Amino acid sequence: MLRAANLTQERIVLVLALVLTAGFAISLPGFLTPENLLALVRSVSVLGVLGIAMALVVIGRGIDLSLVAVMAVSLAWTLNLLANGMPLGIALLLGLGFCLLSGLITGFLVAYVEIPAIFATLAMGTFIYGFGRYFLITLDVVYLPDAARSIVWIGSGAFMGIPVPVLIFAGVCLLGALFLRYVKSGRFIRAIGDNPLAARIAGIPVRPVIVMQYALSGLIGFVAGLVTATSVASMNIRVANSTFVYDVILVVVLGGIGLSGGKGGVRNVIVGTLLIGVLINGMTIMDIQYTVQNVIKSLILLAAIVADTIINPRDEQTAQQGDI
Amino acid sequence: MSITDTIAYWRYRLVPDHIVGEILAKRWIDNAIPFAILVAVLVGFGTAVPDFLSLGSMTALTRQLGEFGLVVLAMTIVMLAGGIDLSVGSVLALANITALAMLNIFGLPVGVACVITLAVGASVGLVNGLLIGYLRLRAFLTTLVTLIIVRSIVDMLLLKFAVQISAGFVDSAVWDFIGDGKVAQVPFSFALFLLIAIVVHVVLSRTRPGWHLMAVGGSRRSAHNVGIHVRRTICLTYVVSGTLAALAGFLFAARLGGAGSDVGIGLEITVLTAAVLGGNSLGGGRGSAAKAVLGAITVMIIINGLVRVGAGSGANSLILGLILLAAVAIDVRWLKNRHKVLAKVYVSPAFRSLPAAPGTERDSASPYALNDRLRDVSPVGLNQVDGPEDVILDENDHIYAGTRTGDIVRFFAPDYTQQEVFAHVGGRPLGMAFARDGALICCIGGMGLYRIGMDRQISKLTDETNRTPFSIIDDARLRLADDLDIAPDGRIFFSEATVRYEMHEWPVDGLESRGNGRIICYDPLSNTTRTVLRNLNFPNGICMTQDGQSFLFAETWSCSVSRYHFDGPKAGKVETVIPDLPGHPDNINRASDGTYWLALVGVRTPSMDLALRMPGFRRRMARRVAPDEWLFPNINTGCIVRFDESGRILDTLWDLGGENHPMITSMREHRGHLYIGGIFNNRIGQLPLAGADPDWTGTRSYWGDEK
Amino acid sequence: MKGIKALLAVVAAMSISTMAMAQGIDDPARAGHYAAFKGKRVVFVPIAMGFDLTEGWAAGIRSALEPLGVKFEIRDPNWNTDAGAQAITSLIAEKPDAIVVHNPDVQSYARLLKRAEEAGIYVIQVNMRSSYSTDGFAGADYVGMGERIANRLIDKCSPANGGNGKIAIMQGVLTAAASAYQMKGLDNVLSKHPEMKIVSNQAADWDATKARSIMATVLQQHPDLCGGVGFWDVMDVGTGAAIRESGKKVHWITQGGGNQAACDNLNKDVYSEVVSYDVPAQARDIADIIQSLFQNKPKPGATKTTLFSPLTFITKDNMKPGACWTLETKK
Repeated sequence: MLRAANLTQERIVLVLALVLTAGFAISLPGFLTPENLLALVRSVSVLGVLGIAMALVVIGRGIDLSLVAVMAVSLAWTLNLLANGMPLGIALLLGLGFCLLSGLITGFLVAYVEIPAIFATLAMGTFIYGFGRYFLITLDVVYLPDAARSIVWIGSGAFMGIPVPVLIFAGVCLLGALFLRYVKSGRFIRAIGDNPLAARIAGIPVRPVIVMQYALSGLIGFVAGLVTATSVASMNIRVANSTFVYDVILVVVLGGIGLSGGKGGVRNVIVGTLLIGVLINGMTIMDIQYTVQNVIKSLILLAAIVADTIINPRDEQTAQQGDI
Repeated sequence: MSITDTIAYWRYRLVPDHIVGEILAKRWIDNAIPFAILVAVLVGFGTAVPDFLSLGSMTALTRQLGEFGLVVLAMTIVMLAGGIDLSVGSVLALANITALAMLNIFGLPVGVACVITLAVGASVGLVNGLLIGYLRLRAFLTTLVTLIIVRSIVDMLLLKFAVQISAGFVDSAVWDFIGDGKVAQVPFSFALFLLIAIVVHVVLSRTRPGWHLMAVGGSRRSAHNVGIHVRRTICLTYVVSGTLAALAGFLFAARLGGAGSDVGIGLEITVLTAAVLGGNSLGGGRGSAAKAVLGAITVMIIINGLVRVGAGSGANSLILGLILLAAVAIDVRWLKNRHKVLAKVYVSPAFRSLPAAPGTERDSASPYALNDRLRDVSPVGLNQVDGPEDVILDENDHIYAGTRTGDIVRFFAPDYTQQEVFAHVGGRPLGMAFARDGALICCIGGMGLYRIGMDRQISKLTDETNRTPFSIIDDARLRLADDLDIAPDGRIFFSEATVRYEMHEWPVDGLESRGNGRIICYDPLSNTTRTVLRNLNFPNGICMTQDGQSFLFAETWSCSVSRYHFDGPKAGKVETVIPDLPGHPDNINRASDGTYWLALVGVRTPSMDLALRMPGFRRRMARRVAPDEWLFPNINTGCIVRFDESGRILDTLWDLGGENHPMITSMREHRGHLYIGGIFNNRIGQLPLAGADPDWTGTRSYWGDEK
Repeated sequence: MKGIKALLAVVAAMSISTMAMAQGIDDPARAGHYAAFKGKRVVFVPIAMGFDLTEGWAAGIRSALEPLGVKFEIRDPNWNTDAGAQAITSLIAEKPDAIVVHNPDVQSYARLLKRAEEAGIYVIQVNMRSSYSTDGFAGADYVGMGERIANRLIDKCSPANGGNGKIAIMQGVLTAAASAYQMKGLDNVLSKHPEMKIVSNQAADWDATKARSIMATVLQQHPDLCGGVGFWDVMDVGTGAAIRESGKKVHWITQGGGNQAACDNLNKDVYSEVVSYDVPAQARDIADIIQSLFQNKPKPGATKTTLFSPLTFITKDNMKPGACWTLETKK
């Protein structure tokens, strides 16, 4: 069956990634070496982990723009606590608790106060950054203290030749996939994303599930933060104000998870992340300037979206209102 | 009246309960919360920061506000059409560097540089528009990608030109004026922003492209189905957005003249915040230029105020986040609950004490005594006509009746088995009368007063009258023109039953019994419309008296018939003719013997009479009980009475048991027969009248034998 | 009577003078000095608070001026040039006595600073100069600094000295004075040394994450990179992390205010060398300029003072205890 409808965005992106890989493999010496491929995945593993967090929320018809802020502030606080002599375990727990609490608050605002997700998380991101900056840490950049030496392996270690961040990415993907497929609340997320009203009528506890969605996203954000902080040996909470979160959304949506919810899964995130990884890595080897890389990357993303729209056109009659 | 009744009477007369509901029903109340937030923010920072509200400080603020506001307008326009434009910040940066490069490096004149800058912005917008409008890409994702692309282009341009731009200096009075000048004490950029905001407002609210845009945002599918060029409209919003963002960038360049790489970074978030805070909804359908301005000012004040409080970047973000959350939370809850509140408080009953109802017992001496005289009614158009509120017959004996579906149908004489749609008017055709020239004049609920010529040409006579001063409800528009009659000189007097309720809610006006109706005069000679009588309690039927100097009118919820003299010695006077009907009167029409027919749409009930004296009870009912369970006036069973100008009841026709014609809103005598209409009926009744003039017709009674 | 009065006067005069004698001689400049600062207000507009440079300056200026009775305030635009412009614009309306400005680039504030001086406010620029010269400037001589760093790189990487000549440059914001002037200095020297190859010259917007990804890119292209210079130590944490991750040996020279973190990172081999322009000394310079302006009361804009900060090249080997400063000790 080679019907056009079978060419979903995910497949287009996958094909694109494979074509690029093949092209790079032929034209770029050293691209297809195992070291380079590992470096490729490693360079996008944080992006991928955050992508899984974002995907969980987006599948449930939300969006979490506070993800990066939560990640940065919680880790910076943890590092700060460590530097001030708190035991590693407690500091990590407190950081985790911070993520959880932020997620719960965001979820409450979205589910119960009914603020549109895009806006609630936007404001929460600003708020969390400000809260962290004002109450928890004094300087934008917190360096990894010596007390945290024992967790540096998370960001810079390797297990059987595979960098730990790659393993963590794989682990989070696996857990995410299992959660979405086999755990009841995971399936609820998809149902809510597909049609929240129908889900509510069917008796699904819509609001608690939405809250859980954001809490989960915060928790995964903490994992991503742990990888970041231990690999750069510092945490700069200015990243909360950067456009990093857009990259995360891009990865998610590129893989074919619609912002209108209900569609897609972990596989889409992996595909989207890999395409970005292949692109960046290939362009790096080709010695393309950083800013030009961004243009090329974006143009290829655009091409993927356009291809999807042309192959799977949206119909005026069935398009969802308010689906931006 | 007892003392408690008197107190209740004045309590509900003096306290304007109805205003709350009317204010809540206003469209501009939508801006109340954003406006309150703006005021709160102003007061908050005004007290926290010394000199915050001083002229100098405000001037400085407004200069930046000009640029920011333009971008918010850009975002609002896109949002109104159901999209989002995240690329505005990058476009602003691109415009900034374009303008500076044109002036500093290429030494172009300011005007040319401005045109080029705007063109650059418009072309980025066009790319967005083509992708989102024509190719139907998702707006969020697409503009996210263009944001990154344009930002990268800016970075590349910076690498190339930054040093040269830094070295150059523009020596131009125009450039300095744009960046630093004032128009009548207002910074140039702010003046420009206000001008453009007004233009955007006018375009959105008064022009076809604006309506198309709002329609697309309100419901893309419906807009498509009614033939609006959805794709083109959406594409254009992005072009406009790009152009406005570029204009803001041009102003930014003129003000600061620096090609910094952080220009416009994160602007899309701030702008989105402003647009949403002003009350524009994501996903389209709700919003306006005024909301954009409100939001822009609020956010600008918050940002500027926080910088000036000097609390430090952490505290700034903290407070900004909190204010945004609180503001949007309030707005969201308000939006969600406003109609609930409105539904609760809109109905605001007044005290009304009706005189004791005369008895209607069968075989009693009462003139209203029950009988079965409507038993002999034979139905016309049974199950073919849906709700003939009024019926009228022409000189050829054809029956005309308005229906619920917005048609005026004609039944052909003599047997009335054939029918046709005489004219489709839309709206709800109610009272009708023939003018001297034979045209059918019709009150159409929801539309106004219309004339249908015998050539079936439909023309509007009037749909508005003079607005009552200080009235919150816009009572210039005609909501529920009900019945009319025509004076010998051609003036048309017609009743508007209520100004507070729409057509389908008319029984609720009875629950309220506030006196929301009026009688309006349309003068075809001067083509003017004036309100002649106000605060009537659901004025309904109108009928010219034989002298041609006054008319009789019925007030449904007051159960009374009055006479108004518009000419002659008693001009301007209102006299009560029948104060105490046993039911709710509807249309009045002439009888062949110089008396008048009056339809009673329903009969009074003791419970409703009592409730009318207990407005508090009715208000509680309206707030706490579902509308289906409300106590309404009885509008199911009525009768026809005949009375003379002194108010004496001469005849009463009932259909006891409600077998043939229980519900009556109108009746017409024509050649010895009475034709009966009812607003919820599926038939027109035809009743032979014993002893009536078999040649008498209404048209001849009014206009003589001219034809 | 007359005699008694005269006597009393003499006695009174005597007693006053003996009292004065008992407490030492009054410094004639003292009263005037303190009066010059009475009720004065100085406002600091950095690029953003929350990092070592600005926090260090703020703490230094505050500790120098507040004992004199000067009110010191901070307006924090938080990395937003436009917010900074807003802050200065509203300050022009508020009319403090002096503004200390930390420019994000050479042009954005230039016109505003001119207006501020015209409004009668002293304007002192710190570390990054705008294209408009104001009453005071305290900061590094970036051109000279660039030249010295270039020479240092030649020492380390020139083929003549055993290197391969491949160097990378990690700028901050291209239009910032620090970047633009320093590039000029680097270029002055490197253009005379064709054997030195600049394999990468990119801007990372003062952002460690961006610097890290750029450096990772560069290292994949040029695994034999010999050395390089970054324009800020906080940003170069990212650069250093990328270098360390690659396992390569790159002589990376960075620069900054000499915060303790820089010394720590030297110890951890994040980078090889730090050029410090000593933030506490700069803060002292700013305070000195302000004191001088307040006492001499020139018309704002009439005098232009420039104080270049002395530079120290700190490496792991020459680092002495106390070579870096910490915010805690300055506060």
